[in-house]
Amino acid sequence: MPKKSPTLDMTPMVDLAFLLVTFFMLTTKFRPEEPVIVDTPSSISEIKLPERDIMMITIDKDGRVFFDVDGKQTRAKIIEQMGERYKVAFTPEEIKRFSVLSSFGVPMENMKQLLNAKEKEREAINKQTKGIPADSLHNELADWINYGRNANHKFRIAIKGDGQANYPIVKDVIKTLQSQKVNKFNLITNLEEAPKN
Amino acid sequence: MSEVQQQDSGGSDKKHKKIRAKKSSTHIDMTPMVDLAFLLLTFFMLTTTFSKPKTMEINMPVKPDKPEEEQKIKESQALTILLSANNKIVWYTGLGDDPEKPPVTNVADFSLNGPRGIHKVILDRNQDIFKKVQLTKDSVARGILKEDEGKKHIAGYKGFKDGLVVLIKPDSTAKYKNVVDILDEMNVCAVGRFAIVDITDSEKELLKSTN
Repeated sequence: MPKKSPTLDMTPMVDLAFLLVTFFMLTTKFRPEEPVIVDTPSSISEIKLPERDIMMITIDKDGRVFFDVDGKQTRAKIIEQMGERYKVAFTPEEIKRFSVLSSFGVPMENMKQLLNAKEKEREAINKQTKGIPADSLHNELADWINYGRNANHKFRIAIKGDGQANYPIVKDVIKTLQSQKVNKFNLITNLEEAPKN
Repeated sequence: MSEVQQQDSGGSDKKHKKIRAKKSSTHIDMTPMVDLAFLLLTFFMLTTTFSKPKTMEINMPVKPDKPEEEQKIKESQALTILLSANNKIVWYTGLGDDPEKPPVTNVADFSLNGPRGIHKVILDRNQDIFKKVQLTKDSVARGILKEDEGKKHIAGYKGFKDGLVVLIKPDSTAKYKNVVDILDEMNVCAVGRFAIVDITDSEKELLKSTN
């Protein structure tokens, strides 16, 4: 009786594995590190958010406002202008750091601190921060939006709010947008099945 | 698996070293490479985010420069919805801006088919437009109508001048979720004309009195 070989031909499986690896490697876009977890409400809307040119205003459940734009050069431009506006001098190193940062939620006075913080410290800052001031008395969000739109005219504005956030903060943000003559914007939601009638 | 192969080849090498020396094995042990491939595969599969976030587009009415330019809404076509804490909805027909005649308020909730669901209230008021929009969507789905044409028709129906106008007034205790839910309801019920408006003091009183 011939001894049966314990090995089996795994070539097709390995081929498939590599195919999948290649596919996932090419399609993966890493989820950007976000300072806060936001649980968005759901809607039946099926409109997809465009991938680029997004100006994202995040509101977490405690009503703190965070801001994010994409594009490295755009970000560098914005932070320079914001520095001029609020008399904060940023070093080229800090500007570079800002351009690769994701969403942030600190007032301008703490921006330097955030940029020079290490990863652990940054987490702590994000936990403590009160968000970007967006009320009518002291509205830094308006400046961020203004410089952002100047830097890139194609920006679409999206509000990513936590379902449990209180409405007045959202109202402040919308008012800020409207004061900048932004009357068209997107609300980010989860998908929900439409009711059948 | 790798060990079995190694032992196998190692053992036979020692025994038949001279015979085997000529035809050296063309097999390479690919196990580590395959291990790595699967490791990477798992990693990328778990980190990939497939679902792009969905969004809801809203257009806020442009604030007119002069107050006289503001659009007047007829009392008969208005439906006012007040939102408050604990998912409470209070609604009444009309604008409720006449101090002589306080509006008759009704309490509702966000349930879809419940006895007090706001969905039914809106749908009842918006039957005509809703049916037309639904018909258009059906014919687009069946291929009778082209998609962009259908969209044009729907926009036309929704913009009907004497149709229902919903005024959404969240108070300061309302949650963002409630606002999104009610906006979503506008989409579901095919209400084309709605606005988020600041709540007035008299309406705050109304909310208080309906517990």
